[in-house]
Amino acid sequence: MSEVYKRELVFIVAGIVAAVMMVTYFFDIPVLNGVAQQFQVWALIIQLMAIGLGAINLVRLNYRHIQRKSEGIWVFSAWFMVLFSIMLLLGLVGLATGSEHAIYSWIFTHVYTSLSSTLYAITGFYIFSAAYRAFRARNIDAAILLIGGVFVMLTNAPVGAVIWKGFPIIGGWFNIAGQVPAMRTFTITGALGLLAYGFRTLLGKERGFYGEAGQ
Amino acid sequence: MAIIIEGRMIALLLLVISFALFYFYMQQAKSGAKISARTFPAVAAIPEAVGRAAEMGKPIYYTTGLGMGTLNNPSQGPQTLAGISILGHVVRLCSRNGVRIDYFTPIVDSLPLVEETMRTAYLMEGNPEGFDPHHIHFQNDQSPYLTASLGYMQRERPASNIMLGGFYYESVVLGEAGNTIGAMQICGSANTHQLPFLVATCDYTLIMEELYAASAEIAGDPDVLGSLRGEDILKFIILALIGVGFLLGIANNTTLINLLRM
Repeated sequence: MSEVYKRELVFIVAGIVAAVMMVTYFFDIPVLNGVAQQFQVWALIIQLMAIGLGAINLVRLNYRHIQRKSEGIWVFSAWFMVLFSIMLLLGLVGLATGSEHAIYSWIFTHVYTSLSSTLYAITGFYIFSAAYRAFRARNIDAAILLIGGVFVMLTNAPVGAVIWKGFPIIGGWFNIAGQVPAMRTFTITGALGLLAYGFRTLLGKERGFYGEAGQ
Repeated sequence: MAIIIEGRMIALLLLVISFALFYFYMQQAKSGAKISARTFPAVAAIPEAVGRAAEMGKPIYYTTGLGMGTLNNPSQGPQTLAGISILGHVVRLCSRNGVRIDYFTPIVDSLPLVEETMRTAYLMEGNPEGFDPHHIHFQNDQSPYLTASLGYMQRERPASNIMLGGFYYESVVLGEAGNTIGAMQICGSANTHQLPFLVATCDYTLIMEELYAASAEIAGDPDVLGSLRGEDILKFIILALIGVGFLLGIANNTTLINLLRM
């Protein structure tokens, strides 16, 4: 099949699937509901098959680093290969025996989950430095942001109410009357943008995600 | 038996009105009516980001965020697609300027799309050999994706970071890491909870619908730009509805709420 037909086929399939899903959201048509359910199952199957692609991508990339002895990386790539093989093997053993292997569970719970939690906790430091940058009163706008930020911080920190009972009231106002309308405006405009994007995709006009954007 | 599902009639009506407006303005633009769209500073800065990388001889880091790890997510999937749309444009610029671009993602089902987008972009630039699948880095899940990205930034010191898509807490981490290495940063998301972090850490930010509109602006297709005009008209309709709802609310009248729930 030529490249052009292949590409057109992608947009035709995407358009049909989107139209069916949209119709079944609004209308109760038993025949189409069945089709929509099938589409969802297919989407899940495609997603699961893509995990295989992801694994191939990982192995390919790390194998190249090992092969080329990429400075500062190849040792980690080799370590990845070892762990990947162990987890794959234990996963397959678990699949064969019908129950998750104890070592597999241990690595997942005590290594992966712990490291993920640690990384998440470190985010606090990144927020501190981002807040420091945002809260520098370089102009009127930044000064207003700083004042608002101080009130909200002292609202959330228990010491704020101890210093002055007005902090939680003013901070609460910033949180509700100040923030919510702005965030809802963003949500509405985002939804409109999504609607327009969906419509363009439905008509096959949005082709950027197939490498056809811009000259 | 009602064929329209209860509670979705007005939503359907609004959808039909929206689509009719988009279509009308797309047709108008097609027939020659001038539709002008303001230039997004973030989009205008993309050539500068690529040029900077070319001058410094450094690569570009590109990511579309966590996006809940799948294209199937109704709120995150379209953001990932919008990010991939812009990726095509960036890759073409990189190909022209001989700049390496490394794409990082934890979204496994986006991999074939990304590969095809990058391959097509290089092909369209007459540089098919420029495409190297090894520049697409997949990490399964948020933490590995984040650590791989941080490691990459420290090792390779990319000249520019482009982060467009559905972000979660990785936004502030990547943004700050990019700041630390002095990279020029262009970002965008339609996730309201991450916008403050992106605005604080990046040089240019695409906010909410700008992320979806950016690819239309890049395409420069008047036909596509017409949909943006339709979007603006819809904003006025929604503003009017909010105004009417506000006045009715003061009068303790729930007619509009009941109508919208139909």
